Amino acid sequence: MLRRELALVLRARVTWMQAALASLLVGHGFVLAIDLYTAGARSAAVGTLMAREFDPLLGIIRPTLGGLYLALSLFGPLIGARSLAIEKDRRTIHMLLLQSGSVPRLLLRKWLAAMAGAGLPIAGAAALLIIWLAVGGHLKASEAVTAFAGYVAYAGFVTAVGLAAGAFAHNFAQAATAALLAIAATFAIDAAEGFSALAWMGGAAAWSPTGYLHPFEEGTFALSSIGWFAGATSGALVLAGIGCCFDLHGLRRTATVVAGVVALLLLCLAGRNLPGAWDVTEAHRHSLPPAAARALRTLPGRLVITANLDREDSRRLQLQRDTLAKLRLARPDLRVRWPPDERRAPAALDASEGYGQITVALGDRSVQTMSTSRRELVTLIFELADRALPDWSQLEFPGYPLVTEGGRRTAVVAASYFVFPTLMLAIGFAFTRPRRRTQ
Amino acid sequence: MAAARADYLTLNGISAVRARRRVLDAVTLLVAPGEIIAVVGPNGAGKTSLLEAAIGALPLSAGEVRVGDRRMVGIGERARWFFFLAGEAEPPAEVPVATLLEQAVAAPGADRRLVPDLIERLDLGRLRGATAGSLSRGERRRVLLFAALVSARPFLLLDEPTGVFDPLQLLDVVALFRECATRGTGLVITVHQMSDAETLASRILVLDEGRALACDTMQGLRDRAGLAATASLQQVFLQLLQTRDSGEDDPRAPS
Repeated sequence: MLRRELALVLRARVTWMQAALASLLVGHGFVLAIDLYTAGARSAAVGTLMAREFDPLLGIIRPTLGGLYLALSLFGPLIGARSLAIEKDRRTIHMLLLQSGSVPRLLLRKWLAAMAGAGLPIAGAAALLIIWLAVGGHLKASEAVTAFAGYVAYAGFVTAVGLAAGAFAHNFAQAATAALLAIAATFAIDAAEGFSALAWMGGAAAWSPTGYLHPFEEGTFALSSIGWFAGATSGALVLAGIGCCFDLHGLRRTATVVAGVVALLLLCLAGRNLPGAWDVTEAHRHSLPPAAARALRTLPGRLVITANLDREDSRRLQLQRDTLAKLRLARPDLRVRWPPDERRAPAALDASEGYGQITVALGDRSVQTMSTSRRELVTLIFELADRALPDWSQLEFPGYPLVTEGGRRTAVVAASYFVFPTLMLAIGFAFTRPRRRTQ
Repeated sequence: MAAARADYLTLNGISAVRARRRVLDAVTLLVAPGEIIAVVGPNGAGKTSLLEAAIGALPLSAGEVRVGDRRMVGIGERARWFFFLAGEAEPPAEVPVATLLEQAVAAPGADRRLVPDLIERLDLGRLRGATAGSLSRGERRRVLLFAALVSARPFLLLDEPTGVFDPLQLLDVVALFRECATRGTGLVITVHQMSDAETLASRILVLDEGRALACDTMQGLRDRAGLAATASLQQVFLQLLQTRDSGEDDPRAPS
């Protein structure tokens, strides 16, 4: 019964304490984002060109969600782990499983309840964006909803990981440690992204949820991201189900766990290979110009870009975030290789290896360049296909600079640091007050 | 080997090891529908292990658990037959009693017709609005017993369900167990207080160091121990231990 599981999560003080702390983290990110946005917007007042750089999705929503990412990573696994491990601490797990008669049914309820608990900070972040609108900020609904959808998917993933940890651990302490370690492992993979000494972990990047969150944060509805989260979450829930089967012992248990891990990997692989992505941003600003994108889709042959750029090279980040992200929207089959990541041992990069060179291959033809410019690379692709670059014009994104100061800033600061965290504590206090019996 | 009878719970020569220690050694027990079996023995005798082995939570190194001719495989199958209540089980402190009662009633197979009577006799009506954490130990145990008794599963395996009750409450609970058995439910109840076992059980399984010393009615145990009809279970137990130590009887052969 879902009501019992919801009560277990939402009537626990720890849930509301984490929600209050998470609100503080998210609120801090929001205030910093507003201050930075304001500082830039003051200078944008002098020219329209600068105003175009003021993108609320990247300037406000994304930094605010940065705090949410940290909060969900820290507290989501704990809420998931607690909802199952507490049954072990209280010796009710066998009773509950036999009472329910179905492991998947019980797990689904536990997961939904844990999602409700982990979702409190998401509601807090959404409330902050309403404040942003109230102080005169601009938001495009489709962008904001897509960004939040990514974080709902992430909350589902971290709570499922917590449940899996709770299913295999003997008590909450063990479960919490295991769940946090699992999430910390994804942090390690992310850390390797900008650190050439950890280039050997390059292949592991496909197993970090952060990479699959980026498209959402950029207003792109990518099926591969949704597929990966769906696969990873279902896989973690399958593992949790195996952990809950208390009548599996010894070799049978080990074999089932191995099968569960294989199922998780296969589900993730299947999910991340789903083709199709849609740019839902205002003026489709995260896509290539429409004519070029349409023409790119019609080009025959496999598109491969080999970029000889190391992880610590800023050009690589720019290439990934801008050109490659936009190219992928038009050509989901795009394959990218990074030769420096394929080095087996740390070694100095030799100039003779053509460092900085980018090779664009379409079918059996290829061309090399040192430029990371979007237009240059797309032009080369069309040249390889013996076609001229199509019309490069695109709808202008007007930009929305906003200076938030004086009373409005005070209201933002008060809401972020005081009102929302206190509200979480107050609601929590009202929800978690022990009720006495009636005489 | 115990003969399989339709809808009898059969623990057939089960052995189990926990942390490299043999906690059950070839224990055989047949539980008929409508029967109350009390499992007694000193600490570490294997009472809790016996119930955990029956539901599959403790792996068997030998023997098998059957209901009729069905081997118990998977939680779904076990859930059709068993309700298990662990000795130290506590309902979640945050959850209101009303929600816990609703959950018990909503469980598959629960017998809703029993609800009003059980709520009245377990005195749960006035606790409905309270959260489980604000209840006394006895009240919390009554909430869990409600879940067990309303479940209408063919076999209730209850680990020390009576230890927290005062003598008056114990009488009520024993009456509920008896009524439950009258409806055809088989109950296997571990009991620490031997006097409780005498009060509630139709048969008593005496365990020591994982082995079944005997399983019989109270009078049967007295006869087996060669004691008078007034002898208490404690006296019978001590006599059975003495008999086993002196090797006069085969301790692994319960009647």
